Amino acid sequence: MEKRRLYIELENCIGCRSCLAACTQCGGHEERNRNYVYDVNPLVNRQTMPLMCLHCVNPACARSCPAQAIQIHETGAVLSALVEKCIGCQNCTIACPYGIPKFDEEENLMYKCDLCIDRTKDGIPPMCASVCPSNTLQWLTEEEIDQKQKQFDLGNDKWVTSMPYLEGETNVKVNLPGILQGTTKLF
Amino acid sequence: MQRDKFFREIENVQHPNEKLIKTHCSYCGMQCGMNLRVNTATNKIIGVEPRYDWPVTVGKMCPKGVTAYQQTNHKDRILKPLIRDDASLKGTKEGFREASWEEAYDLIVKKFTELQKNYGKDSLSVFSGVSMTNEKCYLTGKFARVGLGTRYIDYNGRFCMSSAAGGFLRSFGVDRGSTLPWTDVHETDCLFIAGSNTAECHPTSMFRVWAVQERGGYLIVADPRETPVARRADVHLDLRPGTDLALANGILHLLIENGYADKEFVNKHTNGFEETKELVKDFTPEHTSFLTGVAEEKIIKAAEIYGKAPNAIVMFARGIEQQHKGVDNVSAYTNMALVTGKIGRPKAGVATFTGQGNGQGGREHGQKSDLLPGYRKITNPEHVKAVSKVWGINPEEMPQPGVSAYEMFELMEEKTIRGLYLLCSNPAVSAPNLNFVRNAMKNLDFMVCADFYLSESAEFADVILPSVTWSEDEGTVTNLEGRIIKINKAQEPIGESKPDWLMQVELAERLGRGKYFSHLKTAKDVAEEFRLATKGGNADYYGATWDKIDKQDGVFWPCKDEEDKGTPHMFLDKKFYHPDGKAKICALPYRPPAEEPCEEYPLRLTTGRVVYHYLSGNQTRRIQFLKDMCPDPYVEVHPVTAEKYNIKHEEVVRLFTRRGKSDYKVKITEAIREDTVFVPYHFGHEQSINLLTIAALDPMSRMPEFKACAAQIEKLEAGKVH
Repeated sequence: MEKRRLYIELENCIGCRSCLAACTQCGGHEERNRNYVYDVNPLVNRQTMPLMCLHCVNPACARSCPAQAIQIHETGAVLSALVEKCIGCQNCTIACPYGIPKFDEEENLMYKCDLCIDRTKDGIPPMCASVCPSNTLQWLTEEEIDQKQKQFDLGNDKWVTSMPYLEGETNVKVNLPGILQGTTKLF
Repeated sequence: MQRDKFFREIENVQHPNEKLIKTHCSYCGMQCGMNLRVNTATNKIIGVEPRYDWPVTVGKMCPKGVTAYQQTNHKDRILKPLIRDDASLKGTKEGFREASWEEAYDLIVKKFTELQKNYGKDSLSVFSGVSMTNEKCYLTGKFARVGLGTRYIDYNGRFCMSSAAGGFLRSFGVDRGSTLPWTDVHETDCLFIAGSNTAECHPTSMFRVWAVQERGGYLIVADPRETPVARRADVHLDLRPGTDLALANGILHLLIENGYADKEFVNKHTNGFEETKELVKDFTPEHTSFLTGVAEEKIIKAAEIYGKAPNAIVMFARGIEQQHKGVDNVSAYTNMALVTGKIGRPKAGVATFTGQGNGQGGREHGQKSDLLPGYRKITNPEHVKAVSKVWGINPEEMPQPGVSAYEMFELMEEKTIRGLYLLCSNPAVSAPNLNFVRNAMKNLDFMVCADFYLSESAEFADVILPSVTWSEDEGTVTNLEGRIIKINKAQEPIGESKPDWLMQVELAERLGRGKYFSHLKTAKDVAEEFRLATKGGNADYYGATWDKIDKQDGVFWPCKDEEDKGTPHMFLDKKFYHPDGKAKICALPYRPPAEEPCEEYPLRLTTGRVVYHYLSGNQTRRIQFLKDMCPDPYVEVHPVTAEKYNIKHEEVVRLFTRRGKSDYKVKITEAIREDTVFVPYHFGHEQSINLLTIAALDPMSRMPEFKACAAQIEKLEAGKVH
């Protein structure tokens, strides 16, 4: 099975929030969505962007957890807190540089994106990337991501995926706005 | 077939104790493929799983599609027929009592028979819709004309697709919404999109739209608002609402002037070039800019790009069609493709984004006041003869043409029409000039409404018949490409609900018309008769069997026989459907919107959709996720305009026109013209923007001008709401 990763092209986002609706449809998510879509500058234009868990290689949420409730799957996916271990301290929600983990006040439990682990462990795309109508969220092989990186890194400091702009190395790769900057027009 | 670079073999997740039923979405013309998850113990639909192997949408769905399954077992479903004895409660939700099907049918038969005895056959009317299968649309036409024997049948496509239909018939002699399959869209070099908020209304087209730009192609968008698709356009033609005809003429003028006309194509395959060339001469960039409000350099740049593009597709939607010159707008934008010869080959052509799920198929098979199955005309004796033969009636028995949707309400008001059978539509929200329309429905002698929820229109009914959702029946739908696809049944109808075709068969039997209907015992029976009734028509579905649809991932009409694989690309042989085989380039004089701004009403009001809702919102406003995302309507105002009126973001203001008023929360955005305000139309009762819209009808399509009228804002006293 070829390794695939979630890859995000922010500039494609149309703000439909289908990713949030689909998140509830993954069998393991108790029908609650686990990510965010923001209006970037709502009084000015209609630009929106998804804020998804980036599945850090060395995740602050897991490091900050005093109960070792946040496990890392062999695929690299940073899982939601184990119900039997989570003590509801909310350290993870504070530690995460992107504000990803959500907190269920009633159950006193954190919950977060697990990259639809029941799907992605078998190479099936997560629900968000499956449905995303604009290809903002894609499920790509390492080779396809390398290609994207070559295509968009113009050596002009306006660059693009993830590092060095993020806090640390992430399993999810992000293309910051500017995907059309290197495009050569056909005519 | 048609597997492109987006297609990937992906296995579906199969949860224990579940089966997947492959089908399509219930909502717009994209008809995205989806799998419904059905619990095998309860046999109920419990969720959705992407359908990665559907070639058009490869698993993608918008938030409406993802949550569509929640309609079926929703707590608001009507489970039994409802009767209201106290007519004074019409226009409210009150006074309904549950009844048996027999009691409901008996009452309908009694009232319908009385009305027809006292006031003639044509005192009854049928108002239908196209968010249902071809088979249901077909049978509804037959039910009106043979079951009830009335001339008055029309449908909500008059508020949706009729201008596109009229324009294509005039330009090409045939009305297939897209001349090419959607799998061509990302491979073209230039998309010229006019009056389509594609990202919100047809979101699953967007990965193909963006792919054009990623390849180095161009995106041109004409829209009064900087919609999510216009935001990334290479050229955004930010025109005044209702001025498309001037813009299209202006661009055509530049295409001709700058040598982009394909003279050989024009000479061999079209008529009307010279007179059109003469007419558009007046539409210089300066004059076009004056009429449309678009900067001259943008008009010039757009024409240059479209002209140079080796392949280009002109696409449009309700923005240009819902005008009192909608048909002219369609033909005017189509002129661009005909003059430059960018049509009749892959990756180049013209397409409209069909609004309703079966907006294409539903307009072809006899729900329109002047049409019969297979796109036949009720005014053509040969056509009447062909259909009469299939129906087993004498051609003389075929009723005359009726009137268009909005005009039916006018006939209700003047008591020519006294009874209404309404199905698959919610005109109490979706029709223009609603104060008038609601009053017309209220004053009917007798009204039946078939629906699966108690819609705003059902509130005017005497009898409500519980119909099924799309997932509880089977049949075909024709998507926005002109591809006939199959909707599959995922669960049994809940409660006592029934599919519309079955209600019509059972009613016809009780009206003494059983011999024309009783043989139709299953949806498949209706399908077989339907295919036969289209045979030989322009929209020939005869060869589109359910088997073939399944094997080929859909069948594009025309499809004449069993061997015919269908027609993904239209006009590849450069033959158009006018008798001489040529297309028509149309010379179209400009006329402004029916109601221009004035001192009293200085703003231009335009309406449209949001991504979270579908049509009148009767379905989507009940789905929690969609409701949470967009619970109420709002009015979009440019900050400069807001300052003039001294109104602030989220303040409630009164918006009014000559026809009505409503109060909305202000949404300030720079992504709209200063002279224009926008309100989404999905909301009922006092929130309906259609209380304010104008019923100025296109002379050919009878489409109302939803997209432009004159309005004014009134600042309310602090804190005052409604």
